[in-house]
Amino acid sequence: MDFEPRYTQEQEEFRQQVRAWLKENVPQGIEHPADAIDLTEGQYQLRRDLGRKLGARGWLWPTAPTEFGGGGLDVDRAVVIEEEIDSYGLTNPPYYDSGGRLGGASILVWGTQEQKQVFLPPIFTGGVRTWQLLSEPEAGSDLANVKTTAIRDGDEYVINGQKIFVGSSLGCDYMWTITVTDPEAKRHENLGWFMVPWGLPGITVQPMNLLISGGESGAGSGVKNTVFFDNVRVPAFNLIGAENEGWKVASTHLELEHGSGGRIARNWLVDRLFEHCRGTTRRGQPLTKDPDVRDRLIDVYVEAEIVRLFNLRNYWMRHSSADMTYEGPQASLVRKTSGLRLTRAMLDILGPSGLTHDSDLGAADGHMEAHARAGIVAVHPGGTREIQKVIMARRIGIGREVREKAGALS
Amino acid sequence: MDLALTPEQEMLKTAVRRFVQQEYPKETLLRIASPDDATDDTTPVTPWDRLSSTGWLGTLIPEEFGGEGGSFTDAGVLFEELGRGPVPGPHLSSGVLTALTILEGGTPQQKSDWLPQIASGQMRVAPAVTEPEYGWFEEDVRLAASVDGDNYRLNGSKSFVYDGQSATHFLCAARFQGTGEVGLIMVPTDGPGVASRGLPGFAWNLSEVRLSEVRAGAADLLGGTFAGGWAALERGIAKSVPVLCSFQVGGCQAVYELSVEYSRTRIQFGTPIGRFQRVQDHVIDLVNALDAARWTAYEALWKLDTGREAADGIHLAKVVGSESYYEACNFAHEVHAGVGSMTEYGLTLHTAASRTLYHYLGDPKFHRRRLAEALGL
Repeated sequence: MDFEPRYTQEQEEFRQQVRAWLKENVPQGIEHPADAIDLTEGQYQLRRDLGRKLGARGWLWPTAPTEFGGGGLDVDRAVVIEEEIDSYGLTNPPYYDSGGRLGGASILVWGTQEQKQVFLPPIFTGGVRTWQLLSEPEAGSDLANVKTTAIRDGDEYVINGQKIFVGSSLGCDYMWTITVTDPEAKRHENLGWFMVPWGLPGITVQPMNLLISGGESGAGSGVKNTVFFDNVRVPAFNLIGAENEGWKVASTHLELEHGSGGRIARNWLVDRLFEHCRGTTRRGQPLTKDPDVRDRLIDVYVEAEIVRLFNLRNYWMRHSSADMTYEGPQASLVRKTSGLRLTRAMLDILGPSGLTHDSDLGAADGHMEAHARAGIVAVHPGGTREIQKVIMARRIGIGREVREKAGALS
Repeated sequence: MDLALTPEQEMLKTAVRRFVQQEYPKETLLRIASPDDATDDTTPVTPWDRLSSTGWLGTLIPEEFGGEGGSFTDAGVLFEELGRGPVPGPHLSSGVLTALTILEGGTPQQKSDWLPQIASGQMRVAPAVTEPEYGWFEEDVRLAASVDGDNYRLNGSKSFVYDGQSATHFLCAARFQGTGEVGLIMVPTDGPGVASRGLPGFAWNLSEVRLSEVRAGAADLLGGTFAGGWAALERGIAKSVPVLCSFQVGGCQAVYELSVEYSRTRIQFGTPIGRFQRVQDHVIDLVNALDAARWTAYEALWKLDTGREAADGIHLAKVVGSESYYEACNFAHEVHAGVGSMTEYGLTLHTAASRTLYHYLGDPKFHRRRLAEALGL
């Protein structure tokens, strides 16, 4: 058993290469703001530029196949890249691209050879960025209840409907979308997935006012939007998986969204909380010497470690193609629960300084205040905790008569 | 990165599972744990001889001392399966904690005298550390050792001694009246002045030991000196904790499997109770506790195997292992309702073990404090 990538001499050389390259290419001013909504257009463009440069080297999606623009690297090298990018407080990709992460992976499983050749290289090389469009007013936890329709008309599909809690403040290139392709067919047998190009006539994007954007990725995504489709005509080529077989594609997409992809990055927010407590004094001593604070910091640490290990396990399982059952939704459930509980620990530890991003009085440059909001909102994207539990119960083999299998990831 | 067991470890797992099924059926485990037998320290109900022949008592003992020279992860695999029983006995206290403590602080003579006997099961040693004023800190040790010519005399008592009923020797933590230092003295359980009894009630596998004018020679004192004895024990405990955590993981796994099976087969309101989301909640909380315990334990074992700084991982594993086993049993009782409380069903063996092991080698609060120190807070 080995909890770390085994760094061979060759890989250590690779790390030096990555480190040197990042030093050369990560620009000043790219830092993550406390609230993603404060990410400026300028910062966003810096991140996209960095993404394209990483993509050109195959480091943006390191394990994706080379024939479609990925890096074709093994897990251990992917880990090296992720660790080095993480040391800058950045994720990989360095911008919010849930559609790329989930849509790209789903196309790899369900797309035709031609579709893979057309859609994947721009994603894997950082040329395009993709939003995912799933939720609707009538389709939250019950995703299969989407009402947006895509009706065939010659070589095109005509899309009408409304999606909510979508994307970010700074645009995209494609919209990865689930729709109804046969309004007469049975539930689960009536759906289709599309890659919808941004900017087609009939698409309207309207920002939403939310407590904070949240986001399954945990990375900043800025504001969320409502997207309206009004007779939007999409080439039939952009239908991924067969007409009315969208639920199968969804099984892959949702499997990853529910946490089966795993993660290896540390929780920088917890690191930051510890750092804040070490450097802040109350009654003449660092917060970390206060017995109550110590107790709560250890509570936070223990939960963060469990989340880290679940993510690590899933990362390894996915990349070694191990059979997964309940592990994906379990990681999602535990991560969301601990994120919410962290908001309570912050209240105990920080007091009201954790509830403001005031430049004088806010703790840790407003990062704690941002989590006080984000910890609540992040519980729900990608399936509520209750939905994760429903899936876990099916996978454990108690929720239904026949034990449910995990969605296909390859 | 590779989180799989090796093929050899998979084979070990299978072999131990089969052994436990054959040698420790539920009826045997219930008999060992029953309060009637526990008050009688001579009842020969325990198949320790068969266990000794497996060589597993020497898993962590180097080959030069008659052991197998296995890794900590090997020991973890072994103890996870024993924990599924849960099988009490000399495994953890003798084969792991005592052996590691002797390796840390024993003289060359003591290592070559004691370790082969521990590996073969001839000597089964239970460390006797805690006392009525319970605690795992050095200052909690009061058992008095005074000079008696070339020998020492021990007077006092040890309570809550784990694995005491299967032991041939106690390794007693004692405070030297001359210097106040705490050392470790090997005492045969049947020697003059030594009396022990199993503790009745919900305590699992715990004994009280009374020592009255017990004589011990210099050769019985670990390392030949009181100085450094406690430090050797602490190092031994630190390395034993993740192995104990694996035992707790095995217990969590066992009650999880019982609960899944019961959810699938128990019919109420005309349907298996596992269809009810209120019941599912308990099973899900249970598996979350199980997996948290499993991966914190494995990571700590891996840190020990690879010579990494392991203190943070060790304390984390015991916090999570103790809390998880405790909670896992509670959730299992929720799933089973009345049936779970019937002793012949077997769940209560785990429930009892989970409470005793919650404290053994330090409770979560103790390890949280140590974790804070390890993190430099």
